This record gives sequence, C-alpha cells and structure tokens, in this order.
Amino acid sequence: MATPRTITLSVNGTTHQVTVEPRTTLVDLLRGDLGLTGTHVGCEHGVCGACTILWNGKAVRSCIMLAVQADGSEVTTVESMAQDGELHPIQQAFMEAHGLQCGFCTPGFLMSISELLTRSPDPTDEEIKDTLGGQICRCTGYQSIFTAVRLAIKKLADARAAGGSA
Amino acid sequence: MAIDDRPGITIPNRIEDLPTSQARFIGRTVDRVEDPMLLTGRAEFIDNLSFPGMLHCAILRSPHAHARVVSIDIAEASRAPGVLAVLTGEDCQRWSQPTPTVPEGWGTYCLATDKVRFVGEPVVAIAATNRYLAEDALELITVEYEELPPIVDATKAADANAPLVFEDKGSNVMLQRVFTWGDVDGAFAAAAHVFTETFRWHRLGANPIETFGVISQWDPIENALTCHGSFQSQYHMALARSIVLGLPSNKVRLMSQPHGGSFGGKGGARGTDITALLSRKIGGRPVKWIEDRMEYLAGGSSQSWDRHYEASLALDANGTVTGFKVKLLDDLGATAEGWGAVSAAKPLAAFTGCYAIPVAQYDLTIVATNKLPGSPYRGMGPPPHNFVLESLMDIAARELGIDPADLRRRNYIPKDQFPYTIASGNEYDSGDYDLALDTVLEMSDYQKLRAEQAAARAEGRLLGIGLVNTIEPGVFDWNAYAIVGQPGTGVPEGATVSIDVFGKINVKVGFSLEGQGQYTVLTQVLADYFGVELTDVRVVPCDTLSAPPHFGPGGSRLGVSITGAALGAADLLRQKLIKVAAGLLQTEPANVELMDGKLQITGVPGAEIPLAQVAGAMIARSDLLPPGVDPNAEATYAWTATGRTPADDQGRAKSYLTAANACHVVLVEVDRETGHVEILKYFIADDCGTRLNPANVEGMTQGGVAQGVGAALLEEYCYNEDGQLLTSTFMDYLLPSVYEVPMTEKKALVTPSPFTPLGAKGVGEGAMHTTPAAILCAINDAVAHLGVRATAVPASPHRLWTLLQDAKPGG
Amino acid sequence: MKPPPFEYTAPTSIPEVVALLQEHDFEAKILAGGQSLMPLLNMRLARPSILIDVARIPDLDYIRATDGSIAIGAMTRQRSVELADTVRTSHPLLYATTMHIAHPQNRNQGTLGGSIAHADPAAEYPALALLLDAEMRAVGPDGERTITATDFFITYLTTSLEAAEVLTEVRLPLLPPRTGWSIQELTRRHGDYALAGVMATITLDGGGQCTEARLVLFGVGATPIRASNAEQMLIGTKPGQTEFVAAAAKASGDLDEPLSDVHASAEYRRDLARVLTRRALAEATANAAGAA
Ligand SMILES: Cc1cc2nc3c(=O)[nH]c(=O)nc-3n(C[C@@H](O)[C@H](O)[C@H](O)COP(=O)(O)OP(=O)(O)OC[C@H]3O[C@@H](n4cnc5c(N)ncnc54)[C@H](O)[C@@H]3O)c2cc1C
Ligand code: FES
Ligand code: FES
Repeated sequence: MATPRTITLSVNGTTHQVTVEPRTTLVDLLRGDLGLTGTHVGCEHGVCGACTILWNGKAVRSCIMLAVQADGSEVTTVESMAQDGELHPIQQAFMEAHGLQCGFCTPGFLMSISELLTRSPDPTDEEIKDTLGGQICRCTGYQSIFTAVRLAIKKLADARAAGGSA
Repeated sequence: MAIDDRPGITIPNRIEDLPTSQARFIGRTVDRVEDPMLLTGRAEFIDNLSFPGMLHCAILRSPHAHARVVSIDIAEASRAPGVLAVLTGEDCQRWSQPTPTVPEGWGTYCLATDKVRFVGEPVVAIAATNRYLAEDALELITVEYEELPPIVDATKAADANAPLVFEDKGSNVMLQRVFTWGDVDGAFAAAAHVFTETFRWHRLGANPIETFGVISQWDPIENALTCHGSFQSQYHMALARSIVLGLPSNKVRLMSQPHGGSFGGKGGARGTDITALLSRKIGGRPVKWIEDRMEYLAGGSSQSWDRHYEASLALDANGTVTGFKVKLLDDLGATAEGWGAVSAAKPLAAFTGCYAIPVAQYDLTIVATNKLPGSPYRGMGPPPHNFVLESLMDIAARELGIDPADLRRRNYIPKDQFPYTIASGNEYDSGDYDLALDTVLEMSDYQKLRAEQAAARAEGRLLGIGLVNTIEPGVFDWNAYAIVGQPGTGVPEGATVSIDVFGKINVKVGFSLEGQGQYTVLTQVLADYFGVELTDVRVVPCDTLSAPPHFGPGGSRLGVSITGAALGAADLLRQKLIKVAAGLLQTEPANVELMDGKLQITGVPGAEIPLAQVAGAMIARSDLLPPGVDPNAEATYAWTATGRTPADDQGRAKSYLTAANACHVVLVEVDRETGHVEILKYFIADDCGTRLNPANVEGMTQGGVAQGVGAALLEEYCYNEDGQLLTSTFMDYLLPSVYEVPMTEKKALVTPSPFTPLGAKGVGEGAMHTTPAAILCAINDAVAHLGVRATAVPASPHRLWTLLQDAKPGG
Repeated sequence: MKPPPFEYTAPTSIPEVVALLQEHDFEAKILAGGQSLMPLLNMRLARPSILIDVARIPDLDYIRATDGSIAIGAMTRQRSVELADTVRTSHPLLYATTMHIAHPQNRNQGTLGGSIAHADPAAEYPALALLLDAEMRAVGPDGERTITATDFFITYLTTSLEAAEVLTEVRLPLLPPRTGWSIQELTRRHGDYALAGVMATITLDGGGQCTEARLVLFGVGATPIRASNAEQMLIGTKPGQTEFVAAAAKASGDLDEPLSDVHASAEYRRDLARVLTRRALAEATANAAGAA
C-alpha cells in the first residue's frame, strides 16, 4: 500500500482537503469521496469523454488524471452549471434541441462545450467539431448536439447583450 | 375511430379520438421530462448508488479461448487487504444452475467450472471494500489451465474433427433447420435470372457509453434477492435469476436504474448472478459490480452478428423478383446465453423487405465457437439480413441494366394490399413504399446526384450512390422466436394510472430511463387524455414485484405498447370517474363523458365537474361514492398486441405488429488508393405511422444512422486464430465520432397503423436496419465498374484497398 | 481498470527529478500529461513503483522563439502549442501537426515532451522532430546534453534517454523561406493515431528547383522513418508528378517490413506510405511554389 497524500483542491468553488492514495483517479475522487456523481465513466482510458471536467478551466479527462495531480487546482463539474434551480443556457439549449437521449455522455459534452464557448464565444463550425470530436455519444448521432451548441451560442450571446452574467 | 382492444376497453387509434377537443402535447415535439435530471447529472445511474456496508466486486477472467481449469488457488487472495469474499465455480455449482439459453442446454455457470470457453470468461470473483483492492487481489489468484485447441473459425465448427465447445453435445451445431415458404425450387428453376453472392458480416456490437452495473443484496434469513442494476428488461432478468439461483420468483426483486443506453447490449446476467452469490457468501452485504470497458468489450454483451451468408435472388424477364433464398451460418460464440439464437430468427418478421416476393427460403445453421457469446444489438437480426437482400437487389439491377430505384419500385408491395402477409408469415400493417421512394428521390435530387457521380468519375474519382429501403418490424411478440425454441405468444406491457385527491396524475411502470424518451411520451399521452399540463403527470418506475406486468424497451415496441397500456388504464379509470361524476351530477353514467379535463353531461353546457374534484370525491367522500365503485382513483392495464398467432411448422406467425418503412439515399466517395470512404450526403424519408413525439423519432433515426455508419465502416471485433481478442479497447474498437457521422436531411411520412394505439409504429431501430446496407450499396455503386464487389461489413479501408488491388486497370 | 499501487512525488526542480530517477532506476516513471501513461496504468500494463510528476517544476512550460527555431519546454501542453500565436504565425507546420493529435480534451493535458519521450511510432510530434532535425535537451546525472532527433528515436516506445535522464526542452527549427509542407495521414477515425502518415517539406529556389526535401514516414515502422533516399531523388529537380511518383515508390520500397495489426497489414501500410508520400510531396511542392 502506497503512502496516502493529503491534497487540497477547489471543486465548483468549494475547497476540499482530502487524503487519497496516489493511484486514485480524479474521477473516482469526485464521484466517490466528494459525492459528485454527475461526472460519468465510460472507458477509463481517455477515449469516450464521459468523464470530461474542467481543470483550471480546461476540459480534460478525469479518468486518466490522478487526484494528486489536481492538488491546488480548480475543478469544475456539471454540478456547477445550473444555478438557483435554473438550467445553464447550454443545458437549456441541449434540452430544447434534444441534444441528449440517455444523457450518460451529456455532462462530458457540457463541460467541453463550456470550455469552448468561454474561450471562443463565436466559434466556427470547425472549432465546434474539433471540440465535439473528443466526445463520444452513442445515442444521438451528434446532429442534435451540433444544433444545441449553435443554440447555446445564441442564448449566451443574448444573455450577454441583455447584460446577464451567464 | 377506435380499436376495441379487449371487451370493455376502448383505445383510440387516432390522436383526434382522445377525449380532448385539441391535443396539445401528443404528436408534437415537447421538451423531454427526463432532461433536467440528466442535464444536471442527477439521474441515478447505477454507479451513483451506494448502500451501507457495500462491497465492490472485481472479476478474474480467462486469458484462454479454450482450456481445462485444472486448479484454482485463492488462498493468498482471500487474505489480501480489504477482501471479504472470493467466489469460484465450485460455489456456483453448489448454489446455482447453468443459465437458461435459446436453444436450450447451451449455457454455463456464471463462473467457469470444468473449463473456460472464451477469452474473458469469468473464472473467479472477489468482493472487497473497494474496487482498487479487489483488482489488487485478483493478481494474487493462481489458476492452472490446460490449454485445449480452440474452434474460432465458424466455417470449420461443424467439421468432424473440430474441438467441441460443449463435449456433451457431441457437436458445435446449436441449431440447423431449413424453413421453406412456397415452391422455392420451382421459382428458381423457372427464373429468367438468378443472382447469387456470398456475404460476410463481422462481429460488432452495442457499446452503450455506460457499461452494465449492478448492486445485489442477498437476504440470508428470507433467502431473497434484491438487485438494483442497469437492466434493460428487469422482469425478464428477474425470472431468469429465479431459475438460475433457485429462488421462488417472488423472492427476486429487481429494480432497473436509469441507464446510459443499451441498444440490446446491456446484458448483465452473469454479473447479477456473480454479485448475488458473493452477497450470499458474505452473509448478505450488498455487492456492487460495475463492468469496466475492457470487461465489456471482451466479456460483456458487446458482440453481435458474426455471420456468413450465401444468398440468391430469382427474377423473371421483367425484373420482378420471384424468389429469395438465404443460407446463414451464424457464429454465436461459446454459449447461447442471453438471447442466443433469437436474433437469427428475427428476419422472419420482414424476410422479404419491402418487396412482394412470393416464395423464400431460410437455411439456418447456428454454431458454437470459442468466442464471446453473441448478444442482441439494435435491430436484432435484420441489419445483416437487409444488407444481404438490398445488396442482391443492387446486383440484379446492375446486371439487368435497371436503375436500382426502378427495380425496387417494380417489386414493392402495392399500397392498396395492406395488411399484407409476407412469405415468411408476418403481416405488415400498412405502408406506402412508392411515396417514401419518391420523397427521397426528390429530396436528394437523385438525377443530379447521378450527374455528380458521372462528372466525378470523369475526373477519376469514385463516387457512389446507395439507395436502400427497409422494413422495421415493430412491437415484437415472442411467437416470432418460436423457430429457435422460445416459447410464448404476447408480451404484456402494463401501466397503473392514478389520480390523487389534488388531481395530480401518477403512472407506474416497470422500466427505467434508457434514452428513448418514453416517460415523455407517457406524459404527453396522459396529459392530453386527462386535459392537464405535462407537469401534472409523473412517471414512477417500479421494481419487478410492484410494477404491473412489463417487459420494457426492446424490439421497437415500448412506444406503442406503453401508449396502449396508458390509454387502456386511462380508459378504465375514465369509466370509474364517469360513475362517480354521474352521481355528483345526478344523472346516468351513460350521459357523462370525459372531455378536456372535465366530466360533463354530454350536450348540456355547464353541467360539468373538473377531474380533480371527481377524483377528490372518489377518494375522500365515501358518502358520495356510488354503489359498486371503490374509492380508488386508479386503474391498471396491461397491453399486448391482439391477433397474434402461434407459429406454424415453418415458423410462420403474425408476430411483429407494425411495419415501419424507410428509404435512405447516401452519396459516398471511395478513395481508390487508400480504400477510405467518406460520406458526402445523406437523405432519409421515413414512415413510422403517427409520430407521438417527432423529435424523439428524429433522434432515434439519427442515432441509428450513427450506429449504422459504425457498422458499415468502423466497428469490428477481431479475434486471432487462437481466439484472442485483438480489439480490446476503444482505441481499436472504433465508435464513430461527429466527424464520421453525416448530418442527414430527413423527411417524415405518416401512414398510420390501423391496428395500434394512436396509429403509431415501432421506430427505435429503423436506421440501423438501413444505414449499413445503404453505405455498402453506395460503395459498390462507386466501384462496380472496376469489376470488384464489396461483400463484407465493415468495409474498412484495408478491406476496400485489398479489393481495389484486383480492380480493372483504368476503370 | 484501476491502477496498481505506486508512490507519487511531485518535485519542483530538475535535479530532484534526476536524483529520484537515480534512486529508483527503472522502477520510476515520469508523469507528464498522463495521456499515454495513465491508460497503461489503468490497464495495469505499466507497473512503476513511483511516479515522478514533473508538472510542478517551474520553467518546463514555455514556448520561446529563438534564432531559427522554436524552443518548447517539455511540460508545455499540446494545447498551449496549438493556441500560441507565435506558433501559428511562425511555425504553421507545428500548429498543423498539433491539430492532428487526438482531441482538445487530450491536448489540454498531453505535453509535447511527453509525446516525444513516449516515442510512439505513429505519433505526430516524434515524426515532426525527425523531419525538422529537432534537438532534444535532456538532463541527467552527468548534466545536460543535446540529442538530435536522428539519434533520439531508437525503436518502438524507446528513446536514447538514459534511465535517469529527463527531457527538458525540444527545439524545432523554423522552415526556411520558399518552403512548403504537408501532413498526410490515413486514420480510420478523426483524431486517432494514423494507420500511416507522412510529413514532407519541399524548398524551392527562385527557378522552381528543389533545394531541400524532407520526408518522414510514421506509423509504418518501429520509429518514425526519414526517407533520405527519396529526399535525394528530389533535390535538384523541378519536382512534378513523375518525381513524386518515383520518390514515393522509393520511400515506401525502402521500408523494412512495416507494422501489421488489426487495422492494416504490412503490405497495406507500405502502399499507404507510397500513396501518402506522393500526395504529401505534391502538396508541399505546390505550397512551396505558392510561398515563393
Ligand atoms: C484518446 C487518445 C488519443 C490519442 N491520439 C493521439 C494521436 O493521434 N497522436 C499522438 O501523437 N498522440 C495521441 N495520443 C497520446 C497523446 O495525447 C499523449 O499526450 C502523448 O503521447 C504523451 O504525452 P503526455 O504528456 O500525456 O505523457 P505521459 O503519458 O505523461 O508520458 C508518456 C511517457 O513519456 C515519459 N515522459 C513524459 N515526460 C517525460 C520527460 N520530460 N522526460 C522523460 N520521459 C518523459 C513518461 O514516463 C511516459 O513513459 C492520444 C491519447 C489519447 C488518450
Ligand atoms: S471515461 Fe474518461 S474518457 Fe472515457
Ligand atoms: S445521449 Fe446516450 S451516449 Fe449520448
């Protein structure tokens, strides 16, 4: 048994100090000790994207990242998106555009898309594809997801125009 | 118009016949009731659940395709940190039975006993305080194997000297039978043209993004079992567990959690048995097992349709198809567990596709090999079958110099001949195949595509057009599977609808979320029926012991059957409410009707009581309750298709209730030098009767296209000659991404079913029936002039490159 | 799929890393972005006793334009390379190469140094390093040394780094003027490792004669492979289809037995190498002419 390590990380704005075995993956920490089960696991080898979270604002696979690597970092998961009982505009767009079926892949998509739209509020189709290309959805066939991203861009732009904070 | 489903029950066949002046929800796209929970990550997928004292299971699997288990040493593993129980085949022999199979007798225990039969077969299972420790302990187990020669090539499985997967069977042939419908020999003898080809469909499979998972808890006092899991069909799974684990059926309680897709390939029987027995061994602590992706790929319900075909089409001089013969060698892998041979039987439901082919023959051989047992996958059996039939139609068209669209049109079942009974015995309810063809030809501007193709060819580029039409049999019935030994006729699906004192509606069902949006459909139906808002209806999933009879999703049936169940229950409830309202309105029940959420005296404006008030009185005012009415504003109805017939000696039955149809046109480009295929355009006209929720249908279609693209071009389980799986990760088993899946242009056609609730047809699988065939036909359209023919799925770049090496120069 | 137990340490200086590597010898593994190492750990195909996380060492994450090359710290994320303006403007080939690696979600973690050190024969950065004669800087018990790409890639997943050496920087020369480039890959799915890939640069003089040709084939052997003989055939010519065809035949013909796996046989890979080489040379030449 390897020496456990105590790490401190902020998850969705809350600071946690936890002691973990070095080999604990970040996704297992989030889903296990921290009880944030919105981040899913589909492959545990970095391909499917179900486990995608934001690590210091960047979309990464939490299944091929160790919890200890996140020591001192800011982690954001799907649980942070809806505020005060209101869906985030990207979530709202997914609902309106039917961008999900079983919804298992969805939190990963939402995280990747939020990174994209934060960095590039008016992305090209190619940029959108590049982002979605790293997320596998077995249900939807992507067409409605693409539409949802376009709708989300519009919603976010409208919110900015209206002076909203979203 | 209404279908009188059973005496005393009226189920409307059209949306207009619902008790509302204007349906507000059903037939329209509405936001799905499932979505907020899923979007916020709050759905209770199985791995999100945890129970006090819960242990975690890890499974040691066979590294060999075929070997005798000489000894298993678990001593060290048992003492490893965190380990509480170790389960072996011996425990399974003591406490359980081999799994039931179709055909019978080709099953094993959930852990290997005497020998292992495929790479990935579970051999030992461990329960520990966490998964990490459980996996550590697996490494401390020593299993001594004596390797046996494996049988991997299905074409040699029936040879006299082939190694036997089950020695006691004396042969690897699980099933062999020829089904003949009509004078097939006569038709082929008289034919002006006969076209024959062999086809190969390689193993591929479902791969939902969530694998299977389960938490089992054995009650050692009551000898009862409770399992939560991502079960696609909890009831069916519960029955089988009761048989395997030797428990009375009412001592097995299964609860299906929302799950991340299934497509038939969720499986989970072995995992459920293993965790149940581990829980039993440890005295009743709950045991969780989450199948990881590598377990899923090598040992889960991940692999389907490993098929070798030889098929022939007979045509007369006018291009009318007069006969169709299919010889199938189906490699089912090591056992017939799960749904076994069922998928080879399903093509009977639409054997001759959209065509009026009078006679046909199915020569079916199912063999066992040392590979992972085959599982169901979206569409069950027809996707490969359709690839064969539609490829032959194209071959015939090309050889006879007829445009593929025209040859198809000549052979369609005319629209005035429905209901139409096909040669293999099933009845199609309705359809208009010319319309679908015309629609897609117009959408795609087919002649322009042909011009584009010709122009490209002049530049040396290989463009090809695939045009394929298929039938999607919907609403399965067990009688469809009689030919492989599955008993029964009828698949009841139940709903219990209740109204509480405040007028809110609950509907209890026996299935969970899987992605198709059935909770939304249920909500739409009931909101319109009772004239309430969508938010006034709540769907409550129940476990196997508390739900009404149910099967759940599968066989493109749930949308139709749950609508029938909800409408049946609503009708029974309506009849009760009318009696109560008649008392309150001081009239005869015959004068009272339900309309727009009110119970009213027909033709007397203003003589009405809101639904909530009637329900409230029924429950809370026994003094006002008319005689013969109980104070329970609840009714249960289990729907099953009527008019189903047991199969005859050639397997012919009225089985699947509905026949949706679709016509796809796809334009592809084949890179002549590399064999790479790119999909350039994709058009779909599809007709699934009344669309209960158009966005749901579109989603099913597009999702099916994606899986079809995977099947046609990317996905394949490869085994080497030793039976080792070579595609054991998602780096090698390739699910399509947004780059590979075309954005499709779709058009909806509506030929309602005359037989179903609201005229809807089953629709979950249609695109998967069609897309692989369409893409292969397009590829062949691109390369045929080079003198080569692609006959294997998937058409990987390597396969096409190999084929193109034999191409005519200069073509 | 849970990793086996290991110790973990996150030193903050390079000498510490070297000391740790010395102490643990082959038992230690450097962890950079983890995009190759972590899957192997989850599958228990790698079993280090200790992971040395080099992400917390300051000064390993930078992109610097120097004279004639871009110097990149080993821990620089692939995504930083992708998003850096200097890269897009001064080294479009490096940018394009980066965009061929997996997906943004992997590039956000994966590092340039990790990719080079991992030395997957189908990976893009090693191929680029070989194409451009990149220089790898490594620090070991005996101090710093520079290794040229030709000497760096030994065989499948093996480099000339010593057990106690850490890669610190990769210097990628800029392309000379009037140089066109091309990356050609055949992947079965977008973002995957290529079944076969080719990178080429062509430099033309004012009269359209080829003064320099560089050609690397990857995914076809145990390392990326420089096709020197084919390069030589092009120099001094005014390259056109005939030259491309001949050079491509040479480049693919010179290959030892290419890799063979479930996705492609050796024979197929060899032919892909030929086709992709021809296409790469044609595109690079056209671009060079455009750049002239
Ligand atoms: C889904 C997926 C798809 C991918 N597709 C591609 C692709 O198309 N093309 C491609 O090129 N790559 C691809 N990769 C791999 C790429 O993303 C990795 O980033 C890269 O191969 C390794 O970089 P890393 O920083 O993640 O290194 P790590 O995984 O951390 O390390 C890799 C190896 O290098 C060693 N190492 C790392 N840094 C150093 C150092 N400074 N000194 C000495 N040794 C060191 C480690 O010990 C380890 O052995 C893919 C990965 C995934 C998960
Ligand atoms: S679970 Fe992390 S990428 Fe699939
Ligand atoms: S919605 Fe099911 S996997 Fe994407």
